[in-house]
Amino acid sequence: MNWTAKPRLTAASGAAPAKPGPTNSSVAAPNCRVSNGLKEFLWLISDVPRCRVLDLGPVWQSTVSFFVDKGYRVSSEDLLRAWKDFLTTEEERLRTAAVGNTGEKLSPSALAEKFLQTSLQYPEQSHHGVLVWDLLDYFDPVAVPPLVDRLSRLVHPGGVVLALFHSRAAERFHRYRIVDAQTIELIPAPTLAVHAHVFQNRELLGLFEQFRSSKSFVGRDQVREAIFVK
Amino acid sequence: MWRKSNEVKPSEQPHGARSEESAKAPALQSPPLAPSSFAPTAGPAPASSNLSRIGSGLKIQGEVSGDSDLYIDGDVRGKVQLTNSRVTVGPNGRVQAEIEARQICVEGTVQGDLRASESAQLGASSRVRGNVLSPRIGVADGAQLSGKIETTKSPALETPERENHRETVGAKLESTDQ
Repeated sequence: MNWTAKPRLTAASGAAPAKPGPTNSSVAAPNCRVSNGLKEFLWLISDVPRCRVLDLGPVWQSTVSFFVDKGYRVSSEDLLRAWKDFLTTEEERLRTAAVGNTGEKLSPSALAEKFLQTSLQYPEQSHHGVLVWDLLDYFDPVAVPPLVDRLSRLVHPGGVVLALFHSRAAERFHRYRIVDAQTIELIPAPTLAVHAHVFQNRELLGLFEQFRSSKSFVGRDQVREAIFVK
Repeated sequence: MWRKSNEVKPSEQPHGARSEESAKAPALQSPPLAPSSFAPTAGPAPASSNLSRIGSGLKIQGEVSGDSDLYIDGDVRGKVQLTNSRVTVGPNGRVQAEIEARQICVEGTVQGDLRASESAQLGASSRVRGNVLSPRIGVADGAQLSGKIETTKSPALETPERENHRETVGAKLESTDQ
């Protein structure tokens, strides 16, 4: 993967924000963190006309307002909650299945495929930016590759994905929302799923091999913010 | 298909649907709002004698249209088109329909697009699967949304025929939509 300069999706004119760079502080305030990944993400999509952003976390007013005020279009899909609801439905289906009908049980990869039949249903290349947050850490590792594959298809060429990865099992479950152009807030939340996997660098490069470049920032809290550019 | 007249007489309403004074209705209040600072607030409905209610336990399938405000606490499937009115989906409300209204407040479950010419509010207990199109959109913490959020500048409701004239907050003229 290349650690390339900013790819230009268009030749649109307009003042772009300052080129982001690592900052010394990784924590701005309690439950907030200065996010170099977010700065990079915003910089990469800053000159895209009619930019479309997909937020895979829960919908928050601050995040919506942040993008809407910029004239962006926002889609929101709480992917982890949808996954949990899907698994609950599947368990219920198994419970009510005929006794002895073991063929009903799906493998993790089949579960992922079935999940994706109803989730992340967006046209190909329809979004210029995707906020994945740390969701991939909470999915069954077998389910992650098809999910990333789906992500890669819905991202516009030159589009960017921001994902967070924990270097060790997360101590508690958080949701994320944007406070400003360089700050994200961690919202403690009831555990929706247990931390399933710690991704190593090599795994991430393999997962996102369809993306042409990547960049990551590691904060003091050992959370890696990764940027993948398609 | 069920089409509601402008003035619904109590004697003409099916069981569970009744017109009532707004002081009793747990509708959300619509504050004066700016797009970036918009936040949904719950409160009693403003005084209005033009409020209809679909109570819990009532199921309606078809098209609902007219001029009165509507509070939905039951099940509605089809289409809700009250372009000059306010539609509130209460905590028990379950709507599988596209909703077009001046103001839309959701505390219950909606599967379908929300098109509000003035404002759309998603309350903390709202569960929405569909797109939200409105000049002002409020989202309370805890709201669940799966769909697209799009602010429209024009106060007029968008229809497929007028899709080419859609404007966004950034005053960009949109010609197509995905």
